Amino acid sequence: MLSPTLVAQTVVNGVAISAVYILVALGFTLIFGIMRTVNFAHGEFAMLGGFALFILYGTLKLDFFIALPLAALVVATGSLVFERLVFRPFYQKELQGMIATLGLSVALQYSAMIPFGPQDKSVPSAFTSLVELHGLTFASDRLAVLAIAAVVLLAFYLFMRFTKMGLAMRAAAQDPEIAEAQGIDSRRVYQSAFFLATLMAALAGGLIGQVYSLSPFMGTTPLVKAFTVVILGGLGSIPGAAAGGLLLGMGETFLKTFYGAAPADFASFGAIVLLLIWRPQGLFGRGEV
Amino acid sequence: MKTISAQDGLGPALKEQPRVSQKTARGRWLVYTLAILGGLVLVSWPLLLNDIFFTHVATLVLLYCIGAAGLHLILRTGHVSMGHAAFMGIGAYTSVVTMMKLAWPYPLALATGALLAALLALALGPIILRVRGVYFVLVTFTLGEVVRLVFVNWVPVTGGSNGIFQVPPPFPLFLSNLAYYYLALVMAALCVGLVGRIVTSEVGRVLDAIGESERLAQSTGVPVLRFKVLAFVIGCTLVGIQGSLQAHFIRYISPVSFAFSESLNFVVMNVVGGMNSLVGAMIGALFIVPLPEFLRGWVEYQHIFYGIILILVMAFMPSGLAGLLSRAAAALSMRRRGDDA
Repeated sequence: MLSPTLVAQTVVNGVAISAVYILVALGFTLIFGIMRTVNFAHGEFAMLGGFALFILYGTLKLDFFIALPLAALVVATGSLVFERLVFRPFYQKELQGMIATLGLSVALQYSAMIPFGPQDKSVPSAFTSLVELHGLTFASDRLAVLAIAAVVLLAFYLFMRFTKMGLAMRAAAQDPEIAEAQGIDSRRVYQSAFFLATLMAALAGGLIGQVYSLSPFMGTTPLVKAFTVVILGGLGSIPGAAAGGLLLGMGETFLKTFYGAAPADFASFGAIVLLLIWRPQGLFGRGEV
Repeated sequence: MKTISAQDGLGPALKEQPRVSQKTARGRWLVYTLAILGGLVLVSWPLLLNDIFFTHVATLVLLYCIGAAGLHLILRTGHVSMGHAAFMGIGAYTSVVTMMKLAWPYPLALATGALLAALLALALGPIILRVRGVYFVLVTFTLGEVVRLVFVNWVPVTGGSNGIFQVPPPFPLFLSNLAYYYLALVMAALCVGLVGRIVTSEVGRVLDAIGESERLAQSTGVPVLRFKVLAFVIGCTLVGIQGSLQAHFIRYISPVSFAFSESLNFVVMNVVGGMNSLVGAMIGALFIVPLPEFLRGWVEYQHIFYGIILILVMAFMPSGLAGLLSRAAAALSMRRRGDDA
């Protein structure tokens, strides 16, 4: 059962899924870290990204490498309207913000039902070939998902680490008031963080569409995964999101491959419960007095 | 990046307005009179109106009052559970399965369903109630998903995604909507009365203290976790009872009935009604349960409206409809006092 080929393929699948989870979870944790809003509508931005790609690539037949970033950009830019109307009144108000984003999530899901219908749709696959490496065969769509997600994650890391806006975001996440006292325009920081978060979620949605099918309710799964990832890694922590995503993606893929889907879901809940007993703030979270 | 610890609560956010009630003698008489009048109206209107549709919706409202009151008790401790429907499902499935497959009498089936919900809450409570705030929200959300997956996957017992059809009524008598309405009325009065008794008792004040500040409560010698588990177990038992009663009323159950949207519904009832009082939970149930019926004409848009209403309520009346009422009452009495002077 445990042939090297199977293990290698499972690893590749696991890392590809992890990368998508991390893309969603990073934005989720970024919005929470900076605005203190638990964004329950985050999965819906992934859904919108998936459908945007469906239109641009599936219907309008643009080149995949133009359609994917374009779809994400369109969704992220359009979502700034929601930032203004739904998110901004609730910054730093955890509970009210959470309920409002739940409302947004329901409204977006059912709004998407009207043009797209409840049936599953699939985006034509951009990568259909098989890749052979050292005698091992891999499906190229998984490799492509992996590569694209890795590039985006690297770009995100460089942005946060080396640009002025990235620095401002980290400062605002630590203490919004002191950041403002240093001359940081917190409204612009919030807007940019929201933009970045939805951009990554929409990209993830496009990538999910390459492997699975699309539906107005497809956002729930990535959202649940993002929850698990940030509980594992620590809410608001960026390295935590990366580590949690990798942990969840790999663990889940191995369990799924060898034991089936349901045990994988139960195991991830079990892992969360264990972690909460042992380290409630998550692997990378710092306790706050 | 700043991270928050799991110990951070939503407590302060929940307590926007202090729960101060001026219990004057006149106020108490007013409450009693209103309660008796309300009770009379609740007992008599279905007989006078005799409308199957309204009786059906009213029965649902009463049943949801049970679960919403249960969640209110949990909310008092500063914990927002997003997995409330999971316990409702456990109550429902247990009572349906024991009655249909084991041919148990309904009261025993109902009690077993409530007991199982209570046992799960008792087993998980001490673990998950250690974390507060957003973490608790996320954990209970995940718990709700896991329980739903059990309903979907445990096909021999739960019937999988298809659910279970032709659930019998508790007794043949309750095939009639009117009879079921009175059953729901009695159960709701008992359950809501229990919660009302708890929140106005010594225990209720301890729960409020925990919701206000867990550490302060702990420092005054309150066994915080034990009280939180108590509130959680009672809250989950109540929603388990609702689940059972509702399953035998609707006479069909499936995992969808206990999915996240249902848990969300309970939170929304409390939030829209107003989280600061038990009355808020009732008002919320009265507003949210019939809402889909009123939006029936716009089936495609009803969920969109629901979402938008949520956003608007949060933006413009964060203390809910009950908050609006009490503010109106305060304004009225201010004006009257102004007249007296």
